[in-house]
Amino acid sequence: MTRVKEFNLPDLGEGLTEGEILKWLVGEGDTITLNQPIVEVETAKAAVEIPAKWAGKVTKIFHPEGTMVEVGQPIIAIDTDPGAGDLPAPSAASLAAVEVAGDAPVEPGLIGGPAPGGRTAVLVGYGPKTTVAKRRPRAESASAPVQRPPVVPHEPATPPAPAPEPPTAPAPAAVPRNGAVLAKPPVRKLARDLGVDLADIEGTGPSGSITRDDVLGAKSAPPAAAARVPGEREERIPVKGVRKLTAENMVASAFTAPHVTEFLTVDVTRSMKALERLKGMPGWTDVRVSPLLMAAKAVLLALRRHPMVNSTWAGDEIVVKRYVNLGIAAATQRGLIVPNIKDAQELTTRELADAMTALVGTAREGKTPPADMTGGTFTITSVGVFGVDSGTPILPPGESAILAFGAVREQPWVHKGKIKIRQVTTLGLSFDHRVIDGELGSKFLRDIGVFLQDPEGALLAWD
Amino acid sequence: MADAENLTLGKALNTGLRRAMERDPKVLIMGEDVGKLGGVFRITDGLQKDFGDDRVIDTPLAESGIIGTAVGLAIRGYRPVCEIQFDGFVYPAYDQIVSQVAKLHYRSQGKVSLPIVIRIPFGGGIGAVEHHSESPEAYFAHTAGLKVVSCANPDDAYWMMQQSIESDDPIIFLEPKRRYWEKGPVNVDSASLPLHASRVARPGTDVTVLAYGPMVRTALDAATAAEEDGRSLEVIDLRTLSPLDMRPVYDSVRRTGRAVVVHEAPGNLGLGAEVAARVTEQCFYSLEAPVLRVTGYDTPYPAARLEEEYLPDLDRVLDAVDRSFGF
Repeated sequence: MTRVKEFNLPDLGEGLTEGEILKWLVGEGDTITLNQPIVEVETAKAAVEIPAKWAGKVTKIFHPEGTMVEVGQPIIAIDTDPGAGDLPAPSAASLAAVEVAGDAPVEPGLIGGPAPGGRTAVLVGYGPKTTVAKRRPRAESASAPVQRPPVVPHEPATPPAPAPEPPTAPAPAAVPRNGAVLAKPPVRKLARDLGVDLADIEGTGPSGSITRDDVLGAKSAPPAAAARVPGEREERIPVKGVRKLTAENMVASAFTAPHVTEFLTVDVTRSMKALERLKGMPGWTDVRVSPLLMAAKAVLLALRRHPMVNSTWAGDEIVVKRYVNLGIAAATQRGLIVPNIKDAQELTTRELADAMTALVGTAREGKTPPADMTGGTFTITSVGVFGVDSGTPILPPGESAILAFGAVREQPWVHKGKIKIRQVTTLGLSFDHRVIDGELGSKFLRDIGVFLQDPEGALLAWD
Repeated sequence: MADAENLTLGKALNTGLRRAMERDPKVLIMGEDVGKLGGVFRITDGLQKDFGDDRVIDTPLAESGIIGTAVGLAIRGYRPVCEIQFDGFVYPAYDQIVSQVAKLHYRSQGKVSLPIVIRIPFGGGIGAVEHHSESPEAYFAHTAGLKVVSCANPDDAYWMMQQSIESDDPIIFLEPKRRYWEKGPVNVDSASLPLHASRVARPGTDVTVLAYGPMVRTALDAATAAEEDGRSLEVIDLRTLSPLDMRPVYDSVRRTGRAVVVHEAPGNLGLGAEVAARVTEQCFYSLEAPVLRVTGYDTPYPAARLEEEYLPDLDRVLDAVDRSFGF
């Protein structure tokens, strides 16, 4: 028993929750006897004298006269054994261990007044409780609140089994999965964001469900582990869209036009220097120029000299075009597309540069209009951007020649009788042998080489 | 006038009614024993004495007649506040409420408004006999044309009552009768929220507990108890049941990942089912556990001696919180 007891303001029979301290009938230090009136309290209904619950010495009065006090609050502290010597300092524990003063006088109530059992009187019913809700005692400590006892089916009493593992969830045992993946929504989203396939993961959560940690573990697992999973050694990609169109065109072309490919390796050092000079010229500073521009210019000039190359085999006739729709093969995210520059023969070099920049930009964005991809007459494929030297390109259907423009590399080269380091590239020209004989093809390729080797000379000579 | 007065919820309702009557002479109060007696819960105490028996009207024991009369009065420009003495007495008026009150505005293409407030003391916990402890909110919330609200503390009681009377739409006003005598501060200067808004009653981080009316206090008690377990419960007082104000709920559940809905009414097709469905639709990828419901059972409300077995209490809320963390 605590020696010093705190007396709480009782429910004075009003069913109400507070009372006003009207007058203290005792003071701190006074010695009081059992049932001696100690305080007058006024409620909404009446002034009531409250008797002392214990005999002893008043050590503390908590509220001055005139204050409103909630029911249940301590109003006075009484030392029930004042002869036993000095008191220890009051502690928080003493407040927590307050004894509730019971047996408050009960007046049979009107509505809102008191009712038996700590209730408030109502017209119909026992009345609502005025007590504070308290939780039931819990079997487990607060440190392990998540755990719930597992639901165990009734079994006949058997020799005591070893103590079960503490459950971590309502259904702790891993349940074999029958096809369906168990995972809660945020874990599914995490897996999707990380690109992890839940079907490949063994769940360690409740009911064999996949947890966050399982997903993160799968993400960081070495690729070797992933490679062992069946079904991942091959990937099946549906053939559609650009890939399908490309395939159809290439097959149609490869098996109808007899292809011949010729190669020419040329020193393009002067072309590269010409490009550098071009960049420094007025009006060219903000223009994007590349070796491909030189190749395009060479093709256009060479086509002017050999119009038969710019033609179509049409079965019973050969259609020679007086216009050049110059196709530029572009690798895009959606695949290979070959947009072309209409009437490229009319363009100045500057206009050609702008058109090529625009064409490739539009293609990379996937916004090339269909009209730009039809009607080509000659195509350049710039395989050099992939770092290779040349190739044997397949003709776009309807065209009779295509130029593969390889990487420009520094190489030892015989230049004016000496071995020098020069910028060198390889040109590959495929052509349709039905239209173009070896002689024509060779002359055409040779002219492209001449231009790239000496652009200024070619321009003057061919003009 | 003081900034905040400490009033019981019942007194706050009484004061709110008084303010509305002072402000607008068209506000009438009608119901069984609301006048001379001041209502069985004393919610209309003193109003007939001060406003007269032509504004605070004792009606016959005929709920259908009370609401039917209110419809006529409202059509002619009055703002009747009807008291249904107990939740279980509203059913004779149900036809008037769903057939007339809910539909006249629609039927008249918006030409007629029915600014009627139907006050219903609802829920159990007072140890009463049958018909006196029911939670009929889903019947009304399911009906288009009605708005349904429930207050949970004295400040809301004071303001939501006045806001309901000012509403041109019919309002079913559910009063948590077991909380009538609980006190709380009332800011008489300004309302903290509009009528149709839910509110975070206690911020927390681990679980969102949704409640309204009498169960808000229970949820708050559970939140206090859960602190001992190191769990932080966010309690949202829905306040408005139709329309629901779900935005604060979604915001909360997206933070906590868990939700528990609490109401006294039976779980089957109750408000909790609607709330759970909406939370699932809107917060799917945030949900660490299914939305759980803590409700009354799918039985008639039991006899008084058994009602504590029936009513959700803080332990059942905490059990649901534990279950949520089991996923």
